[in-house]
Amino acid sequence: MDERLSRREFILLTAAGLAGFFALWTLLAASGLVPKLFLPSPLAVAEKFADLTQNPFVGFTLQQHLLSSFGRFGAGFVLAAVIGVPLGLAMGWFRWLDGVVSPLFDALRFVAPIAWVPFAALWFGTGIGGPILIIFSGAFPPCVINAYRGAKYVEPRFIEAARTLGASHWQMITEVLLPASVPSIVAGLRISAGLAWQSLVGAELIVASSGIGYLMVKGQGSISTATVMSGMIAIGLVGFVIDLLLRQLEARIHRRRGR
Amino acid sequence: MNAGADRGFRLGVGVATFAALAAFWAAGSAQQWLPAIYFPPPGEVWTAFVQVLVQGYADGRLHQHFLHSCLLVLYGFVAAIAVGVPLGMLMGASRRAEALFNPAFLLVRPIPPLAWIPLAIVWLGLGDGAKVLVIWFAAFVPSVINSYAGVRSIEPHLVEAARSLGIPRAMFWREVLLPGALPLVFTGLRLSLQACWTTLVAGELIGAITGLGHLLYQAGLDLNPAMIVVGMAAVAVAGALTTALLTLVESRSMPWRAR
Amino acid sequence: MKNALRKSTIGVLLGAAFAIAAPGARAQVAEIKVSYQPALYWALPFYVATEKGWWAEVGLKPVFSTFPAGVPQIAASASKSWDVGGTGSVPAVLGAVRYNLLTIGLTNDESVGNALLATAAKADAFMKNPQSIKGQTIVLTANSTGDYAVQSCLARWGLKKTDVTIKSMGQAEIISAMSSNNADLGGLWAPNIYTMEEKAGAKVICSGKDAGAIVPGALVARSEYAKEQPQNVAKFLAVYLRAWKWMGTHRAESVAMMKKFYDVGGVSISNVSMNKEFDTRPVYDLAGQLKVMNRAAAGSDVDKWMTQIAEFMKSTGTMPEVPQAAKYITDDFMKMVDKDPKLKAFANQSN
Repeated sequence: MDERLSRREFILLTAAGLAGFFALWTLLAASGLVPKLFLPSPLAVAEKFADLTQNPFVGFTLQQHLLSSFGRFGAGFVLAAVIGVPLGLAMGWFRWLDGVVSPLFDALRFVAPIAWVPFAALWFGTGIGGPILIIFSGAFPPCVINAYRGAKYVEPRFIEAARTLGASHWQMITEVLLPASVPSIVAGLRISAGLAWQSLVGAELIVASSGIGYLMVKGQGSISTATVMSGMIAIGLVGFVIDLLLRQLEARIHRRRGR
Repeated sequence: MNAGADRGFRLGVGVATFAALAAFWAAGSAQQWLPAIYFPPPGEVWTAFVQVLVQGYADGRLHQHFLHSCLLVLYGFVAAIAVGVPLGMLMGASRRAEALFNPAFLLVRPIPPLAWIPLAIVWLGLGDGAKVLVIWFAAFVPSVINSYAGVRSIEPHLVEAARSLGIPRAMFWREVLLPGALPLVFTGLRLSLQACWTTLVAGELIGAITGLGHLLYQAGLDLNPAMIVVGMAAVAVAGALTTALLTLVESRSMPWRAR
Repeated sequence: MKNALRKSTIGVLLGAAFAIAAPGARAQVAEIKVSYQPALYWALPFYVATEKGWWAEVGLKPVFSTFPAGVPQIAASASKSWDVGGTGSVPAVLGAVRYNLLTIGLTNDESVGNALLATAAKADAFMKNPQSIKGQTIVLTANSTGDYAVQSCLARWGLKKTDVTIKSMGQAEIISAMSSNNADLGGLWAPNIYTMEEKAGAKVICSGKDAGAIVPGALVARSEYAKEQPQNVAKFLAVYLRAWKWMGTHRAESVAMMKKFYDVGGVSISNVSMNKEFDTRPVYDLAGQLKVMNRAAAGSDVDKWMTQIAEFMKSTGTMPEVPQAAKYITDDFMKMVDKDPKLKAFANQSN
């Protein structure tokens, strides 16, 4: 909107914003308005964080907890993408399928991933299936919606052109619709990855042996707010990195398509 | 394509889908190839529905749970957009504001709403405040992101034109920024509302007395799948209703947008 | 640890494959899926037996899965996630009603280990005048042994469930809420009781025992599994009993092991509290198990205790009917241990 900032100004303001954030936090912790036990200072949390990466808590170090969380996340996310994207594309292309799936889909959209916890335990147990179902239910909708939009709003002239050239249904899907929907699909995957990662904490409520959500619950159970906050930060950081990577993928695809 | 006919077709297919699914469910339960312990039969779900409607379940009757949840969502939603939309628009309009606020926002954004529960309890106790806080976090993020994107999506030459005319700042916001950003702002509100509902269940893990999330939680503890289905359906209905309400507000506030 | 995880996953898969592919084919070492809750007194024998290598001595290879509370544990039995295990008596009854879970023995008598606690500031007043609890809010985990203990305490004081406001949440949330003074009264079980006493100065104002309720912990088995592999169930019991025998005579070593076991479960409590766990929670050896489960005279003790719990659950609206004790409580497997001289000797070995 307004003019671009100079590099110096940008860095200055960013630093000021961050400093303000941490200053507010420190002040609040120091003021005693919230007891220290429940709002440790940033420094105390940083110390705990470092400690957790060195010394195991509830059996494992922070990195190991993250790793096992990551495995669950990956499985749920990949499953959602593998099922959701083709389904969305097909819904965009076949009108009857759209009519069949859309109402179901709209109804289930409001049901929280965590509401699936009891069924997840009932149907799949705790091995790996239960947690995956919960992550899947978080990650699935954006995959479908964006693939659907991508396929539905392909420029009509492309379709006309392909049709006059005598493309078959199959060719139409693989050679016209799919490539045209890629940007939308990738955007959907990015949202989906974010939601999958967020559903993880819910998923780890039903497995009690490892994972970052487990670490947080146990931290809470032993009255260690710093451990809980370290878990939050770890989740936040990894979520941020996942988003960053997918954003780069998105930018690369846009560039290749000459936009 | 004729819009009216299309709507009729969609409605028809939608109704047929639900009917087919219900028939499948009823037949499966009657013939027992859908095991009752995994999939509660329709009869049980009906009984559970009547039970919660008439006698009550989890310390309240269905309408009490329903209303209380709607109220919580309303609080969280309004509080989130009251902060989120102005912040997002400000960040969109001013690069200085963006540089200042974005880092802190990026830090908070990827943390799952569920992960705030431990802190919400120790900060705000077991009342509605803690639940609203958790819901607030869920709704805040999408409202900021989309308001920001809304402002950025305004055609630059519109802004240029307004600037060159030298209109006052307040008028510039009212006449250019706000209407220009509104479509995407509403997209954000829609996502926020959905996030409110999916987070409600998590929020009510903090010892609620009434509420749909509490109903679901209690049904989970009682291993009562039929009641869980009733709870899920109630959440879906509540979500759909509030979304319809939002759509109404949307069409009223953007009369220039032909639907 | 990644390896351990992967191994256990593969183990579960292999175990499942085995069970499907080769029923009856007697392998040298039989897989058995054991479930428990981490950092609990009655789960310690599983850890001790594993450290000592006793499972292999009877030809079992345990695959463990752990759960934060009884209800999700019971739910996971429906998907055959585990074969045998230990759990609270309340979830055991719920499991019997919903998924035909069998109660095959007792883990311990945890009447003291389930209690109503109050925050330091309010505890004395409540203890002096329990009637003042009327109108208060109590946080507890619904459908747990802690719930049962709290309700028994209320009943002893002549208070009804409607006299107080009950909010249900997980044990970790209760600890947060009480330690931050957002709740004055909470139902907890050990070792969470000790965490609250040591780190937040809370006090027990009434335990299940004080209220005159017997709160046992249950050893449970999935009924299909028990039918298919009764031998393995008996062996499982023998290992469990031997671990208690050993702990009975090796206190110092047991406490050291408990410390390690609790650490992995994220619980750190003092030595005094750990010793209290041993001192206040009676356990049963083979003879003791057979005695409390003996139905010779008009129903056994266990039948009586569990039926009381079932009645409590009916009163809370969790289940419509009180199940018949004989339908889900069985001493058949304890008897199998008793009749097999080798297993019996094994179960009673104190070293």
